[in-house]
Amino acid sequence: MAENLLEIKNLKKYFSTPRGSLHAVDNVSLNIEKGKTVGVVGESGCGKSTLGKTLMRLHEPTSGEIIFKGEDIASMPIKEFKKKYRADIQMIFQDPYASLDPRMNVLQLVEEPIKTNNKGMSKADVTAKAKEMMELVGLAKRLEGAYPHELDGGRRQRIGIARALSLNPEFIVCDEPVSALDVSIQAQILNLLQDLQQERGLTYMFITHDMSVVKHISDDIVVMYLGQMIEKCPADEIFKNTIHPYSQALLSAIPIPDVHVKHERMVLKGELTSPIDPKPCCRFAARCPYATEQCFMEEPKLREMKPNHIVACHHAEDFINDK
Amino acid sequence: MDENILDIEDLVVHYETEDEVVEAVNNIRLTMKKGEILGLVGETGAGKTTTALAIMGLLPEKVGAVKQGKIKFEGENLLEKSKKEMRAVRGKKISMIFQDPMTALNPVKTVGDQIAEVVLLHNKCSKVEALKRAQEMLALVGIVPERYKDYPHQFSGGMKQRIVIAIALACEPDLLIADEPTTALDVTIQAQILDMMRALQKKNNTSTILITHDLGVVAEMCDHCAVMYAGEIVEYGTLEEIFDNPKHPYTKALYKSIPSLDKDVERLHVIPGMVCDPSDLPSHCSFYDRCDEKCDAGKLHDPEAYAVKDGHVVKCFRCQQREGEEE
Amino acid sequence: MAKMYTPEMEKIAKKKARRNKPIKSTPAYEAWKRFKRNKTAIVGLVVVCILILIALFANFIAPYDYQAQDYMAMMQEPSSAHLFGTDQFGRDIFSRCIYGARYSLFIALFCTIAALLSGGLLGIIAGYCGGIVDTVIMRIMDVFQSIPMIMMAMCIVSVLGNGIPQLVAAVMFASMPTMARNNRAAILRVRGCDYIESSEAIGVSQMKMIFKHMIPNAAGVMIIYFVGFLAVSIMMMSSMSYIGVGLAAPTPEWGLILNDGKAYLTSSPYMMFFPALMIMITCFAFNLLGDGLRDAFDPKSK
Repeated sequence: MAENLLEIKNLKKYFSTPRGSLHAVDNVSLNIEKGKTVGVVGESGCGKSTLGKTLMRLHEPTSGEIIFKGEDIASMPIKEFKKKYRADIQMIFQDPYASLDPRMNVLQLVEEPIKTNNKGMSKADVTAKAKEMMELVGLAKRLEGAYPHELDGGRRQRIGIARALSLNPEFIVCDEPVSALDVSIQAQILNLLQDLQQERGLTYMFITHDMSVVKHISDDIVVMYLGQMIEKCPADEIFKNTIHPYSQALLSAIPIPDVHVKHERMVLKGELTSPIDPKPCCRFAARCPYATEQCFMEEPKLREMKPNHIVACHHAEDFINDK
Repeated sequence: MDENILDIEDLVVHYETEDEVVEAVNNIRLTMKKGEILGLVGETGAGKTTTALAIMGLLPEKVGAVKQGKIKFEGENLLEKSKKEMRAVRGKKISMIFQDPMTALNPVKTVGDQIAEVVLLHNKCSKVEALKRAQEMLALVGIVPERYKDYPHQFSGGMKQRIVIAIALACEPDLLIADEPTTALDVTIQAQILDMMRALQKKNNTSTILITHDLGVVAEMCDHCAVMYAGEIVEYGTLEEIFDNPKHPYTKALYKSIPSLDKDVERLHVIPGMVCDPSDLPSHCSFYDRCDEKCDAGKLHDPEAYAVKDGHVVKCFRCQQREGEEE
Repeated sequence: MAKMYTPEMEKIAKKKARRNKPIKSTPAYEAWKRFKRNKTAIVGLVVVCILILIALFANFIAPYDYQAQDYMAMMQEPSSAHLFGTDQFGRDIFSRCIYGARYSLFIALFCTIAALLSGGLLGIIAGYCGGIVDTVIMRIMDVFQSIPMIMMAMCIVSVLGNGIPQLVAAVMFASMPTMARNNRAAILRVRGCDYIESSEAIGVSQMKMIFKHMIPNAAGVMIIYFVGFLAVSIMMMSSMSYIGVGLAAPTPEWGLILNDGKAYLTSSPYMMFFPALMIMITCFAFNLLGDGLRDAFDPKSK
């Protein structure tokens, strides 16, 4: 087995709100192997973005460990973290319209991370490196002086990727990098991310709500619901042998662009419940069509039902052989 | 034909500002039969929403203007109607559902009042009757009617979209235009809303234009489908034709660029380049620069719409040529 | 065959010309393009420029010395010799108004800069730091603000005495809370943007974050408040001079000229009319300019 680049152990991130403590990420444990892509899926509000930002230390974790290259970066003082690991863990942001400073042009935007992290580098070197990065992500030379507002979403996202890559990171958190893009542009960006991974041996955490995208790009998939990880398995497995009822519902809800496939749809009742001070029960129980009394009484633990396939459901056994 | 509820003929819409002319919709032709669901697919800036706004008579004043064409609704040209007449048509005969349910509702009015308002505006009835109608509508979209006294912020995103739909359907319009009604929602909620819309459509037989960028949604909901690119309808046909037998290179490429759930593909097909700037459209085929099957004719001229089959129209020289060879 | 010339071809030619133009579209340039389109804003800008020129070249424009008393020509109505008439000492009101522009504009400028440096800085600190720092600063500003501006200024002048520095201090303290509040809001808005988080993720230091990202992006809004405050400062100074707690005679400040004419309102209304007109035009021009800037920098706020 390849070595783990990142190990997350019992990571929690709670936000205090006037109505109580919001459990955005609750007890997530996860290993990410070097050179692999872990996809994190879930609906809005399930804590997937918070998970990514907590790994970046953009949010301070409430408790738990994040072990990166054998060192716990969660408990490390933020200054030390920034010095040692900031460049190694990078992020690509969701909204390419909002995540670029509108008052900087393309070259300045790509130069910024290089300048900040290589103090003492000469200006010419910085520019040369920035130009190299632009070429790498496929930004034409003539765009150097352009400002973000003049560019389309795909190109802006390329700037975001260039910014993250210019620090030679090993691990990149991709927070919905293609959700704001049109399908034809989406394919360009996904291919670019895959190429870069192959060339540079990058490790991705790919956060998205789009099941087909996550299936395409990931090796392992994590399904999150209200801050918890409820299922984790290899990418092919989830589409063939989904176990958790929520994952099943999520899959069946996707409209398929084919007129002949008319699949049985499992329409969930209701919407996400509040992640504020959740009761100790299965958080999905209220919407689950198979919920029993037990589900409302105790919280299911993650169990390994098959090799590399772990699920948090009391009735997981019943769903295994269903398909 | 009298059955056509909507007939759009050679519609051209431009947005004009001081520095540029944005050619948002160029010469589109579209007919819709009563009771049908038409899917309008395309990427950002393809002119989908502009077409919808033109039908509604809601193009931004001063900037947006219909340059040419007719929009015949139930035989009458909507473009010749006065503002006052259009106001009577909107809401009563044609309704629109906007993309973002969060901003489409008035936050300081109860949802019951907001539905009743539309009813009162277009029907002669008392306030009590209107409120009763509002409760019926809420029940219809799957919300407990007793909640008519609640304010929008007390509802979740999916519920708000249901309310927006309730408002749109309150006067039993003949034509419903839904502009990306589920884009802002999560998939499980989207499934709920689509289920409900389909059920309501069957029940009332409302003709619907569904604007979306998601081919999956189209496959599930629509009878006919029009693919838009750079302000033109590049392909139009029945759902089966468009999905099983796509002719236009753009439509074909679009299918290949979506990651599929049931098939494993190493790399996605990429449509090179990007959508051409609508303020700077080429005089030749607008898809030429990105086309897989480039042809010399496309480099020089803009192709005319060409009927490959009865009811399957493609705007591409290749198809014309191929058809010619076969015959 | 002769070449046909159709509107279609003309359009294509125009397009080609446009395509060959280099892209030069910085955010500031975009703002300027929007500003240019706004006719009232241009009027405001032109009037403000004229006023500044008048203030700079007052000694060349004014036909008389603003202090020169001419006992042969007291209380004269506007004429070709004295465009705005003369006052009870025979001073030329036109010259006094011209010199007044110098005093009013420059003192107002000082006041506003002082307010920006004090209140603006506090607001930026409060907005950036947040938490307890924010609470403490803003509550102190709240206390300041609970006293009416003009009262506050009057109190300060009555403690410190009359004079230009005192007046500047008074106006500064009075306008500090609003300045702080506005700048804090501007910073907060920028702070919530994704690009700040994105810069944090690539390791940009705090200082760089404030000076390279936050302030440049908030600058547009800050300039709008700054220009708006110039008008407020002029108004406040003039009102204070008018009620006798501002500058001392014989300074040709518009409020003071107004005060001079007060006693003769019924017999010689022109003595009050012209300085009042000057104040009005100035404030109006600054407000037009401010609104224009808002629309230019902040097109979405409309």
